Amino acid sequence: MSARTFGRIVSYVVLVLIGIIGAAPFIYLLILSFKSRLDIIIEVPPSLHFNWSTIKANYDEVINQGHYLTYVKNSIIVTGISTMIALVLGVPAGYAFSRLRFRGSDTWSSTILSFRFMPPVAVAIPIFLMINWVGFANTAAGLVLPYIAFTLPLVVWIMIGFFDEIPREIDEAAMLDGLTRPQILFRVLLPLARPGIIVSATFGVIFIWNEFLVGLYIISQQDKETIPIAASSLLTVESPIEWNIAATVGVLTVIPILLFSMVVQRYIVRGITAGAVRQ
Amino acid sequence: MPGISSNDEERAAVATSVASGQPVASRKRLASPTQRRGETLLLLGPCALYLIVFSVYPLVASLVRSFMDYDQRSNTWNWVGFQNYSELFSSREFANTVQNTFTLMFAGVAIQVVLGVALALFFNQQLRGATLVRGIIVLPMLLTPIVVGLMWRALLNPEWGLLNWIAVELGFGHVGWLSDPSLAIWTLVLVDSWQWTPFVFVIVYARLQALPQEVFEAGSVDGANWFQRTLHLTLPLLMPAIVFAAVFRAIDAFRTFDLVYGLTNGGPVQSTSTLSFEAFQNGFEFQRYGYASAISYVMVIAAAVGITILFRVVKVRRVDVAT
Repeated sequence: MSARTFGRIVSYVVLVLIGIIGAAPFIYLLILSFKSRLDIIIEVPPSLHFNWSTIKANYDEVINQGHYLTYVKNSIIVTGISTMIALVLGVPAGYAFSRLRFRGSDTWSSTILSFRFMPPVAVAIPIFLMINWVGFANTAAGLVLPYIAFTLPLVVWIMIGFFDEIPREIDEAAMLDGLTRPQILFRVLLPLARPGIIVSATFGVIFIWNEFLVGLYIISQQDKETIPIAASSLLTVESPIEWNIAATVGVLTVIPILLFSMVVQRYIVRGITAGAVRQ
Repeated sequence: MPGISSNDEERAAVATSVASGQPVASRKRLASPTQRRGETLLLLGPCALYLIVFSVYPLVASLVRSFMDYDQRSNTWNWVGFQNYSELFSSREFANTVQNTFTLMFAGVAIQVVLGVALALFFNQQLRGATLVRGIIVLPMLLTPIVVGLMWRALLNPEWGLLNWIAVELGFGHVGWLSDPSLAIWTLVLVDSWQWTPFVFVIVYARLQALPQEVFEAGSVDGANWFQRTLHLTLPLLMPAIVFAAVFRAIDAFRTFDLVYGLTNGGPVQSTSTLSFEAFQNGFEFQRYGYASAISYVMVIAAAVGITILFRVVKVRRVDVAT
């Protein structure tokens, strides 16, 4: 066997190992969600023999008795509305920062971007008190308002990058036709900036879908909880966890986000590299 | 992504035209200054206004409250000056929390950078199925943090967890991953690295793919072997991306909350409590809003320093690209 062939074999072994390390924790959780409470403790490591009635019992308990669908509905409403409004506010701002030079424009854009890196705890308490004060505790609006603020810097940052990639000549031609800046944005550039809008929306959706630090205290009524809030309340109960149910909740929490990220996969890589490669 | 380099050139071209003082023809004849100010306000105003209410105001409020003490019984705020801060800086628990946060930051980021760069170099070869594996390893960073905690608590369960079983089979005996106070913080580093190494990988790999192929060909003609080429050619070219990813990750690791909440809840005996978690616990669990605000303000100032460094890094890169 030549050194080259040997090298190829090693490469493939490493490749498979990388894949296993990446996927194993999720697959393990999936397997646990197919087991009964007792089997999880007895079978170490878990066997790959599954009992259909056990699987059905676990998933039935979470979906039908555990209000899973209510949580999904709450999550979809909150995520959808927050992302939409963040785009409506953030896309024009990204355009303005990309094209217009005004006094302090660099300082302004850096300030907005720096919010992306602020520790959420630093704003969590005032926001919590503010939401309570206006009486939005336990409402979707109570989550939507702070989530927009958390998503906006990301949207602005990503959009500046995408608008920068669109040649300025397009704006100039449109201006000769007598269009104003907002008109240029909405009539001419939005279709061209669509990949950027999808990338922003993707990251907004993922971030909001997963958020629970702020949500945890704004929502205390079970029927208003989003999926991660519901999942976290299950975890924080310090008494012995029912692992079959916990695993099922875990699987059902991440499946929507996994499906979603498969659909938008190429935009995810673009979004992650947007900050790094762009500037 | 070959498109990236051409865009950079284009931006550099725009920059030179601006620098040489040639006004872009159409801009001059358009709209009066007042109208332009109106347009700027229209595009930017709503976003700015929103952030003032929901980001700037809370930050200012936190600063003010860090000098106050909340009395739960009478629901009043009392001015206490620097008392929260002096309590903070003389507290052993806070010092311990700072140490945990820095361990997570430096050890975690170091591991993630080394592994992330290694992964990028590894994937820089033609392998069947590589696209699928790349797709899989991007997923951990998108997962709901609370579920990541759940997964790893199962894997590390002392009685039946899979990783624990593997440790026993390999002869390590029972490892107190989450129960041993001197080990738990390293378990946190391990899980954080599982979730975030892909981030470094994605950024470095994108940069690697964007490098012109001729550089490597010239290197192999010179008779340099793979190791020499990597050390003297590839790594220096990747350095801007590596530094960017490292600083970005460090700022994110600095504010780690989710992982602690989901995996250890700060324990055992506060050995894994981070600054974010400490602020969270004091604020929301003990209703010590003032003290929690002081902790979070120390964080805000530290984060501001990190952000300044990050923006410097970004600026440096822009110059690199233009020259």
